[in-house]
Amino acid sequence: MENILTPTATRPHTNGTVPGVATQPVIQLRDIEKIYQTNTIETVALNRVNLTINKGEFVSIMGPSGCGKSTLLSIMGLLDEPTAGVIELDGRPVQSYSDKELAGLRNHKIGFVFQSYHLINDLSVLDNVELPLLYRPGVGGKERRERAYAALDKVGLSTRTNHFPSQLSGGQRQRVAIARALAGRPEIILADEPTGNLDSVMGEEIMELLLNLNRQEGTTIVMVTHDEQQAHKTQRLIRFFDGSQVS
Amino acid sequence: MIRHLFTLIWNRKRANFLLVAEIFFAFVVLFVLGSLLVDNYRKYTAPLGFRYEHVWEVAMDPSGQPISRQDATLQRLIQHLKTMPGVRSVASTRSNTPFAFSDSSTDFKAGSHSTNSDIYSAGDDMQDVLSLELAEGRWFTRRDEVAAHPPLVISQEARQALFADGPAVGQIVRAMDDKEFQVVGVLASSYRGRGEFQELEPAIFQRSESLVDPNDSANFDQPRLLIRVQPTATAELEQRITKEVAAVTGGWKATVTTLPEQRTIRMKFALAPMGGMVLVCGFLIFNVALGLFGVLWYNISQRRAEIGLRRAIGATGRRISGQFLGEILVVTTFGLVLGLAIAAQFPLLGVMGIRLPVYLTSMVLATALIYVLTAICALYPSMLAAQIRPAVALREE
Repeated sequence: MENILTPTATRPHTNGTVPGVATQPVIQLRDIEKIYQTNTIETVALNRVNLTINKGEFVSIMGPSGCGKSTLLSIMGLLDEPTAGVIELDGRPVQSYSDKELAGLRNHKIGFVFQSYHLINDLSVLDNVELPLLYRPGVGGKERRERAYAALDKVGLSTRTNHFPSQLSGGQRQRVAIARALAGRPEIILADEPTGNLDSVMGEEIMELLLNLNRQEGTTIVMVTHDEQQAHKTQRLIRFFDGSQVS
Repeated sequence: MIRHLFTLIWNRKRANFLLVAEIFFAFVVLFVLGSLLVDNYRKYTAPLGFRYEHVWEVAMDPSGQPISRQDATLQRLIQHLKTMPGVRSVASTRSNTPFAFSDSSTDFKAGSHSTNSDIYSAGDDMQDVLSLELAEGRWFTRRDEVAAHPPLVISQEARQALFADGPAVGQIVRAMDDKEFQVVGVLASSYRGRGEFQELEPAIFQRSESLVDPNDSANFDQPRLLIRVQPTATAELEQRITKEVAAVTGGWKATVTTLPEQRTIRMKFALAPMGGMVLVCGFLIFNVALGLFGVLWYNISQRRAEIGLRRAIGATGRRISGQFLGEILVVTTFGLVLGLAIAAQFPLLGVMGIRLPVYLTSMVLATALIYVLTAICALYPSMLAAQIRPAVALREE
């Protein structure tokens, strides 16, 4: 029987501290700038962004295309370096971290969910979900399997473990991607338009899954979205315009 | 991680089929060439069984003189040459001199054993001329002229083939024409008159009963002499020998060459086809390498999103390059397993008539070379993969 995280009523969105949630910052961005430089053009993607994400928060980021949302998410996820500014994870600045240390942080602390799922088509659902644990030292094959099964169980796909991504619907693929993010038991999930490629029913299903993860497991989630309705289901909505936070 | 790589490659078997096939064919080509080269190297490093330095060969054309008188003329010539300053020893032989493109063989039988052996005609001084070492018995002497059975000196291979572990000296062997011979000596090693690339085959020396073949009225098998000269001998001695031959024999034409010269010609003859094969195979392997390089580069450009994803979930740049390197090594392993299965048939079916250790050595060498080749081809694309910025790669799809 599928064991999808139990749906609960959505909380009304607030712009400040969430009642009952301790304000312990997990991600802090200070004066973050990101400038893309070509020979002739300088594009400011992020302009002095200051932002704090607290433990257990579900934050959505909205804004028009090209306003820097995804760049912000990449910087939060340590996939990209800012041109200027400071990123702190759990209160520790990470600028001086080596490639190995950053990879370790991404593996242990952060789970990613992408709009286009980014599943490896030549691997089964189970192998895809196991993937982050392959890069974690000390996790053996048996434990990897168990944790991958558990993650798939959480997203209600325990009966699809041997399927390949091409045999799944868009919603199922996104659930596999979420299971992959969950397998590493991260504190933070960064979701870049997770419902962007899905129809409204599937999108709703994925949104419920993320909300339940946040509520039942206390996972901190930062989600970039274009869907105003879904954004309002999160605890905090941040709006971006031309690389700057406007609300 | 290794299991992951095998799973990934196995699931992409259709996409990797051509790559596996390319590696398979490259391996088979290298294995065949390697077998030939290793076999030739094995032969090259085995002892020749004689010393060719400072040995000259005198080929003579006695045309014009009646064959009945040629033997006596030749005996007189040998005695005369032995007295010349600069000459250490002289021995008569026939056309199958060391490194010559002429050979003569016949079947010999001893009890229940028999073998086909190269047969060499040798004078009493041949041991000294070619510095032949004996393990048992003795070399030919003049006393053999009155022996009940014509004497033979045999190589170790002939000894093994005819007598196995039993005694050889004093034993009677029978030639194909039922003529009986007696073994008087056994060489300390092989004797490979056709040079370094000759197989280690039985060789038997027969004492020259007459220096000229009385049945060879056309002088097809012209009489030849092998002369060991002093290390200080020069071309001047060569001229004197030519003149001496003409003077003593009454006008025989003589051609003097050195065994090192003959050896060089023989080596060129053996090495030229090998060189050609190495060149062709080298070109083929170079093309395979270019192909591999191109395919890997293309693969990596097609898998940028996957690289981005792997970086996002915790792979370091080094792990990414290690993965791509590992993948090509796994693909290589698939190709090599197929190639080794084919290569194993060569010794089983006796395809090239080469010994098993040579095949095994070639398998190991070809396997190692293919792994090194694919690793080199994968190195640069893998390094490029490691440098792909994850944020950019993830945004591209």
